Amino acid sequence: MHPSLHIPDGFLAPEVSIALWVATAVVIGIALRRIASGHANAPARTVLMGIAGAFIFAAQMFNFPVAAGTSGHLLGGVLAGVLLGPWAGSIVMATVIGIQALLFQDGGLLVLGANIFNMGVIGTLGGSLVARATSEVVGGGRRGQFVGVGFAAWLSVMAAAGLTTLQLGISGTTDIGIGLPAMLGTHALIGMGEALITIGAIGFISASAPDILSERTSERGASAPRRIALGSVIALITVSLAALFASASPDGLERVAEDLGFLDQGQGPAFELLPDYTIPGLDGTVSTILAGAVGVAVVVVILLLLGRVAARRRSA
Amino acid sequence: MIATGRQDARAAIVTTLLVTLAVALLPTGSYLAYLLVWLAVATVAALSGIAPAQLARRALVALPFVVAALPLLFTRSDEIIWAGELGAISLSVSGAGLRILLTTALKAWISVQVALILVKLYPIESIVGSLRALKLPDTIATSAGLTIRYLDLLRNEATRMLRARSSRSASPIGETRERAGGSIPWRARVTGNLAGALFLRAYARAARVEEAATARGARGSLSFGGLQQTDPRIVQKAALALATFALISAAGALLPRF
Repeated sequence: MHPSLHIPDGFLAPEVSIALWVATAVVIGIALRRIASGHANAPARTVLMGIAGAFIFAAQMFNFPVAAGTSGHLLGGVLAGVLLGPWAGSIVMATVIGIQALLFQDGGLLVLGANIFNMGVIGTLGGSLVARATSEVVGGGRRGQFVGVGFAAWLSVMAAAGLTTLQLGISGTTDIGIGLPAMLGTHALIGMGEALITIGAIGFISASAPDILSERTSERGASAPRRIALGSVIALITVSLAALFASASPDGLERVAEDLGFLDQGQGPAFELLPDYTIPGLDGTVSTILAGAVGVAVVVVILLLLGRVAARRRSA
Repeated sequence: MIATGRQDARAAIVTTLLVTLAVALLPTGSYLAYLLVWLAVATVAALSGIAPAQLARRALVALPFVVAALPLLFTRSDEIIWAGELGAISLSVSGAGLRILLTTALKAWISVQVALILVKLYPIESIVGSLRALKLPDTIATSAGLTIRYLDLLRNEATRMLRARSSRSASPIGETRERAGGSIPWRARVTGNLAGALFLRAYARAARVEEAATARGARGSLSFGGLQQTDPRIVQKAALALATFALISAAGALLPRF
């Protein structure tokens, strides 16, 4: 199983392709400026980036057997971001995705901007920021780093799958109602593989060559207010992704159920906290937003608890 | 720093992108226009010494992605061409959905062939050098050049590490009679460890390359050099590319659709 997130040419409307090319060019432009200003030793940096690109290519060959005929493998977006830093990492991923399109026809040329956006910009830049923030929320240190990297790796795969489907949907080449639950369902599992491999790689590197990673990891967790702020941002991202998926899937799963004629047979859960993502007694948008806020609060509490557990284990 | 008789591929790159854009802009259902574009592509391939049949076969790589468009067959409710019952499920197939599916598959198939002609005619170093001449930022061009140069080396190293792993620990259940090593999270961690070990080797290699460059007197700037010779007829070729774009668009607008 090679779950491809590389969109071929022909699947995206030209307007969508061009808009995403522009977005990608802007972000990569900022990244280039950031790495040029931040490093006195630019040539060494370029050599490392170039060879790291070849490393990401090779690392994507690493797979592990899950069952006969099925395997988990690596995309490497968050790994590149954590190892090289978010800006250099996203440039490396952009280069890798470009070479894959040119040399192996893995993904199209006109849609290359979209593919870089989904995997290199959101996956690497967004992913490594999520990794850093999450690890600060859960208390920093080695364990915090693993939680952050794993969560970000999983989220990066989910986000890339979700964005790909949305872009296809906007271009009229898939049905979002069916495509989104299907893509996210399979990638929820693929993302776990990504998370486990990324954690394994970071764990190995931090054990055998800690100095490579030390400049980029926070040894301590953030202060309480900062932690709450970061936690809320991460929760907000997660919940808005989830809300997006939920808002698309009623006419996915429920419609399949309706078409198949078993919607009436479907039984509601024993109790519903927030039926249909709304709060009883309120209607429309307000209710959905409130339901979202409740969701954010729940996720924040879970993250804080996780952080406390991690911190206690660390001091023990 | 990579200097081996680099050819000017700028005109070819521009043509490839314009033809891909023209194909993407063709209206749904304009099969005659697709046929004409494909005949033109196959002719160019044959004239350049590439077997059109081989090209057509290799371009099938993009087709598995068509699965993404399959739901449209059943979710669109216009122009029902077939409706029936499959057990308890009532299904209807939409003609409009089928048309989008076929058009998308054709667009993908033709676009890959166009891209394949480009990479078969020009070595990848020429393409990167030409992109550099077309204002691709130097950091990206240099980084891409190094990635291409070290690609085989690191892929070989990865292959050796995978072979070592499969002869010592985790092989998939069912593929050999021996039990696969460890639980799934254990196998995932081992895979991650391999990736980490490979990164350390890549990191050490980058340091050696940097040292070697300094030892040879490199003074700080590192750049993927420009083109060694430029195509004197670049303007004419670019005009030809634009004409091709206009021709394909006209075919899409004028030829009947189905």
